[in-house]
Amino acid sequence: MTFLPTLGALVMLVLMRGRPLLYKYTALATTAAVFVLSLVMVFKFNQNTASFQFIEKVNWIPRLGSSYHMGVDGISVLLILLTTLLSLVIIPASWNYIKDRELSFFASFLFLETGMIGTFCARDLLLFYVFWELMLIPMYFIIGVWGGPRRIYAAFKFFLFTMAGSVLMLVAIVAIAYLARPNHFAAPVFDLDQLQNAVFSFPVQLAAFLAFFIAFAIKVPMWPVHTWLPDAHVEAPTAGSVILAGVLLKMGGYGIIRFCIPLFPDAAAAAVPYILILSIIAIIYGALLSLVQKDLKKLVAYSSVSHMGFVTGGIFALNIIGVEGGVLVMFSHGLLTGSLFLLVGFAYERLHTREISAMGGLASPFPVLASFLLFFTLASLGLPGLSGFVGEFLSLLGLFSYNKAMAVIAAGGIILAAAYLLWMYLRTMFTETRDEKWFKLSDLNLREISSLVPLGALAIWVGVYPATFINIINPSASRLVNQMAPYMAQHGNFLTRFLAALGGRL
Amino acid sequence: MQHDVVAIVPELMLVATALLMMLIDPWVPQKERRGFSWLGILACATAAVSTWLSRGEQFTTFSHGIALDKFTVFFKLLLLAVAVLAMLLSEQHLELKDRLLGDYYALILLATVGLMVMAESIDLVTFFVGLELMSLASYVLAGFFRRNSRSIEASLKYFLTGSFASGIVLFGMALLYGISGSTNYEEIGTAIRIGPVDGHVMVIAIVLLIGGFAFKVAAAPFHSWAPDVYQGAPTPVAAFLSVGPKIGAFAVIIKFFTIILGSEHTRWTPLLIAVAIATMLIGATMALLQRDLKRMLAFSSIAHVGYLLLAVVALGENVNSFGDSSILFYLAAYAAMNMGAFGVLVFLANSGKFGDSLDEMAGLGRRYPGAAGVMTVFMFSLAGIPPTAGFLAKFYLFAAVVDAGLAWLAVVGVLFSVVSAFYYLRVIVYMYMREPEAEAAAMEPTGKRSWDLTIGLGLATAVVVVMGILPGPVLNAAQDAVAKILGS
Repeated sequence: MTFLPTLGALVMLVLMRGRPLLYKYTALATTAAVFVLSLVMVFKFNQNTASFQFIEKVNWIPRLGSSYHMGVDGISVLLILLTTLLSLVIIPASWNYIKDRELSFFASFLFLETGMIGTFCARDLLLFYVFWELMLIPMYFIIGVWGGPRRIYAAFKFFLFTMAGSVLMLVAIVAIAYLARPNHFAAPVFDLDQLQNAVFSFPVQLAAFLAFFIAFAIKVPMWPVHTWLPDAHVEAPTAGSVILAGVLLKMGGYGIIRFCIPLFPDAAAAAVPYILILSIIAIIYGALLSLVQKDLKKLVAYSSVSHMGFVTGGIFALNIIGVEGGVLVMFSHGLLTGSLFLLVGFAYERLHTREISAMGGLASPFPVLASFLLFFTLASLGLPGLSGFVGEFLSLLGLFSYNKAMAVIAAGGIILAAAYLLWMYLRTMFTETRDEKWFKLSDLNLREISSLVPLGALAIWVGVYPATFINIINPSASRLVNQMAPYMAQHGNFLTRFLAALGGRL
Repeated sequence: MQHDVVAIVPELMLVATALLMMLIDPWVPQKERRGFSWLGILACATAAVSTWLSRGEQFTTFSHGIALDKFTVFFKLLLLAVAVLAMLLSEQHLELKDRLLGDYYALILLATVGLMVMAESIDLVTFFVGLELMSLASYVLAGFFRRNSRSIEASLKYFLTGSFASGIVLFGMALLYGISGSTNYEEIGTAIRIGPVDGHVMVIAIVLLIGGFAFKVAAAPFHSWAPDVYQGAPTPVAAFLSVGPKIGAFAVIIKFFTIILGSEHTRWTPLLIAVAIATMLIGATMALLQRDLKRMLAFSSIAHVGYLLLAVVALGENVNSFGDSSILFYLAAYAAMNMGAFGVLVFLANSGKFGDSLDEMAGLGRRYPGAAGVMTVFMFSLAGIPPTAGFLAKFYLFAAVVDAGLAWLAVVGVLFSVVSAFYYLRVIVYMYMREPEAEAAAMEPTGKRSWDLTIGLGLATAVVVVMGILPGPVLNAAQDAVAKILGS
């Protein structure tokens, strides 16, 4: 399944040069097939166990102790579903958007999909790293070739930020792989199943944890390493933004759950208070910046920084509810922000601007667009009954049982979210219609609606009956929390002292 | 005794072909000259086959002057592959410049023989013979376009600095001989370790030798010839010079540090660390400033030498580390990607007016999608991004450094590789994300397709991609090659 998109892309590149309709349908068919496969996987997935399923294991580089080892647990399954769904919907969404070198554009997305799925499945650190970096290449081209006016700057910034983070992670990967060897002449250990049992001394854990964490924090992105995100989002084409916000940011959260915490539990427990503080800063800071943005895409981009704060906050509360909440926020943020970017893109195709001040009164010329935007805006600001609410609520509950003051501050982020989103909606959709010409433009067509509907439907599902998804996440989350419990107990006192020093006693 | 000849059969084949080429060159009409290329490739192929057949052998010969073992076989095959690639890249370029001569191929073959002798030598004298054979051939090659003043300049510069460095190496060798009474690596090593030797003289000798090596591989502070030579020399020659001599020199460096210095090596790691960091620093930062692609690639190759030196440091810190096999693997990957990158420049130069500048790469993705595509692969590989050979090579090399207990040095190395990613990506930016100047846009693909060049670039690309995805065979060969180096 991982390589099906690559196959599709190769077929397109080799056989279908200069036949736009044919390769567009091939791209659509490929992503659809991958999506169906991932659905099949979700249905066959056994929800009662935390162990990995659908395991494929082939020797890859035996001398380096690295194998092609793939497998999924509940968290991976959800994120893969998100990946395949978003990859599917962006194809029709960008059907006519790109005018230049379309073939390469669609092929890039298929390559990207391979990288993303591989990253979520890899059970071998070296393999993971290969997929992780593999995603950079197509994304770099997507931003750099088909992006906006400052695309080259944005592409460079995106690439170098991510690479700077990940090469440090590479050194850490190598270090732990060689430290985990049973003796000096054995091959290094990259397999996660074996690394899970390895025990590292605290200084090693701390150094490796930091190296991994910085790489993932850049991807999330956490404050203060988020600065590449607004640039990349604003310059990327719509589909690029959707994937960037919908899937690539999730890589960071996923990496933290999968690698950072379980491999270095001691260091992770020690780092909890600091990371929670950073998360809360991200929540508030991202929300405040969203309030003052003039560009719609930038607004959504900064809101991502804020929402992702709930992800890291929930995960690092390190109780079951928090972790489940964090993962659910990732899933729902992928759906909602993905749709918001799609909508901004659709609006841009018609109005050729993203300036909030240039819009106004769009609701009368574009009623369908306005109602979709309303739906996703409400979901994004956490209206109960839609997906945004459930995840953030659980995440806050997790934070609350860890530390009440933090949860209270973080909850302020939700209020701010309501403020900036509703204000944005007010300024763009209501008030007077600025331009009479807009009435001549067409509203969303069937193709565009069809790319939004599945996302909306899932958002409702998650909001109304989250149990479906929580049951999938639960075994993996509880395994993580159980593993961490002894370490948290050990470092718990430290936190109380730390907060007492801050005067945050409750 | 029949062994003697077995060990150098491949070299003899190449020498015989080279002599034959020079002999028949005047009688070959212009139209038939393309045959030289194929003759040279055929010679390399047969030499490779005979090298391959001797892969099970383990012996020293010519009075312990050369060794035939897996290490030698690995290097010989690599060098022959480099020579074949160089010839594939050259043919059309020489034809267009009206310099398609048998001499050129003869010189490439002779330089290759010199390199092979360097790789198999376990005696200072044999090593020096190989070094000089290689050097003299490359001086001439650098100046092969005799009507081009830059080419002449490159040749002269290379010759002057190169012969100076040879002198330094020779002086170091003389001192080593003076304190140990032997030119054989193993005997020198024993003498140094058991003593008594004059410590001061030994220090001077080793510093001189390290300096000479640093010159040959273009490591700081003896790197400054490289950009001028690569820029001035004919592009296919630059491709060869940026790879071949480095391979030969690193073969000698590995033997020098493991056989001669052995456990003494540790004392030299601070010096080597300083040289390696300076080399990476100069290579990476200077490459950022270049607008000329050949100079950019020259500085980038200096940065790569810096990474390779890190592995030598790892070898010194811990003789059991796999610093040596990581050098072998890295060299193989580096050969393919660097020659490939130069090959694309050859292709562009053949296609019309192309002055090697970055600006002229603008919009290449539209004009020559194929060339731009393979250039992208080479650039990502040089930057060390998976799934390319460059990534695994860098990964394996830094793994050796970390394993030797020098994690901080690996961190320095990877940070430089982030800096270097910038200038490789810039090439891609120009190719795909900038529109060409109006004049260049009008320039349509003119050059005739050359099968040689296409095959050469295709091979290099295939190696880079396959080694990046399935590195198993090369990695195994590299590890087996260093398992038992004769003489150590």
